[in-house]
Amino acid sequence: MIDIKRVTFSRGANVILDDFSAQILNGEAVLLSGSNGAGKSTLIQLIGGFLTPDSGSIEIIGNDISQLKAKDQAQLRSIAPQRRIFDLAFTVVQTLNFVPKKRRSLRTHQIIEELGLVDLLDKKVTELSIGQQQRVSLALALIQEADFYLLDEPFAGQDAASQVRTINLINEIKNEKGVLVVSHNSDNTHSWFDREIVLN
Amino acid sequence: MKREIGIYIGGVILLALLFLLSLRIGVLHLQTPLFDILFKNNHGVDASTVWDIRLPRALGAIIFGAGLGFAGVIAQGIFRNPLAEPTLIGLSSGAVLGTIAVISSGAAVYGSRTNVYVAVLFAASTALMVQWLAPNKGFGFLLTGIAVSSILTSLAGLVITSSPKPSIQSLSFWNFGSLSLLNSETIRASAPVLEVGIITAFFVARKLDIYSLGDASSHYLGVNPKRIRFWAIIALAFLIGASVSAIGSIAFIGLLIPHIVRALIGPAHRRLLSISGLIGAIVLLAADLVARTAFEPHEIPLGLITSLIGAPALIILIRRSRAQWVAHD
Ligand SMILES: Nc1ncnc2c1ncn2[C@@H]1O[C@H](COP(=O)(O)OP(=O)(O)OP(=O)(O)O)[C@@H](O)[C@H]1O
Ligand SMILES: [Mg+2]
Repeated sequence: MIDIKRVTFSRGANVILDDFSAQILNGEAVLLSGSNGAGKSTLIQLIGGFLTPDSGSIEIIGNDISQLKAKDQAQLRSIAPQRRIFDLAFTVVQTLNFVPKKRRSLRTHQIIEELGLVDLLDKKVTELSIGQQQRVSLALALIQEADFYLLDEPFAGQDAASQVRTINLINEIKNEKGVLVVSHNSDNTHSWFDREIVLN
Repeated sequence: MKREIGIYIGGVILLALLFLLSLRIGVLHLQTPLFDILFKNNHGVDASTVWDIRLPRALGAIIFGAGLGFAGVIAQGIFRNPLAEPTLIGLSSGAVLGTIAVISSGAAVYGSRTNVYVAVLFAASTALMVQWLAPNKGFGFLLTGIAVSSILTSLAGLVITSSPKPSIQSLSFWNFGSLSLLNSETIRASAPVLEVGIITAFFVARKLDIYSLGDASSHYLGVNPKRIRFWAIIALAFLIGASVSAIGSIAFIGLLIPHIVRALIGPAHRRLLSISGLIGAIVLLAADLVARTAFEPHEIPLGLITSLIGAPALIILIRRSRAQWVAHD
């Protein structure tokens, strides 16, 4: 379980989360929605341990993440941020290899296929389209073995077919893991989630 | 991969040839064959020229040239900026000021251990100061580095002007760099420091690949970006402190070589580091050979040559590359 306990977080005078609590359980897929600037990405960054709450705490399977090193946090959860920097001309394979072998999911091959990356493996990430980069970014998160997957707008920039394939993938992962997905695209995908958390 | 092996083999052969050539030629024309000097007992003027003057100088060119190549890779990686280079972001000026201060105060002489350590300390403090003052890691960061750098250079000039010691050399000696002071003591004092820098650089390099995806991505994949930055600055301070205290500040090698190597073999930092070190050694050795033989018996400052070739090369690269000049995050 991811247990978000009474978290408050502000940037300057801008209070983004105010005494916010929520839980994400194993085996469920939760939709995190809300308007632009509502604080969805901020919440993901807090759970990911990249930001630290002003007050309150976040636990993953009983571990207070503020007490864990980046390396140990990475065992518990895997995150696809809303944006990654693809500035250097690594190939797609090289990029996916950023996840060390011993931390890679057994499903790695399937994920690469489902996300349509097989033909792109030797291409440079700097020379991919935005939607293709988005799929590499998503793959990078999904091939990392973890208990929880937090995906910030995984459908953004993706065509209808890859959206469906992404959903199927998440559906399978959800059988054993917990999944939190940020999405605006609630019309197409809404019905498919177990639960929705709305930020405002 | 094939290309890399080719570069390694070709590079090592070229380096060996340049090394022998550096021992062979110079103002004094050797009467004894080089082979005899190196492998047979020999005590004449020729032998002492080769063993005491040319050999330390050639070795210095190799190790400091490699150090500059390494430093360029680490600086560009850590600041996610293809324009970052130790001379541009102020580390070298810090080390120059430290060296000049320590020599002019009489606390230590050129090439001593104290000189090297103080240069490392000044380089590290400068890096931290630039990081603290800079508004972001992109263009503002570079401009801050350039500003801090010129303050430190002015201070160094003031110290030199008011110093009674003639042994301190001129400001342009330190700013353009030269291998003319190198002797075996200097090398003995700075080589261990350089080695610490190199080991740290290789340790950091592996993580720079992941780090390139941005601070957040890096953290999510288990690599703490703040820790990487800390170790990278340590590596840079040791590499730059060691080389500046011995040969002054030499521009463009650290900037250009990683660029060119990246275009040849791709961005993976470990390989980038090894090959940039090799090429840095070759380039500095070749440049020094030109510096001391082109206008015999006068020696031109080494940095003049690297700048005369490096600056136009940079312009060509800027015009050709589609690199993104403003780093994010
Ligand atoms: N780096 C930052 N510095 C200052 N304020 C920020 C920063 N990042 C986000 N904010 C502010 O925090 C608030 C929440 O931002 P966040 O990115 O979490 O929104 P979001 O719900 O993910 O929006 P979107 O749907 O556009 O992705 C916004 O008001 C934004 O202005
Ligand atoms: Mg967002």
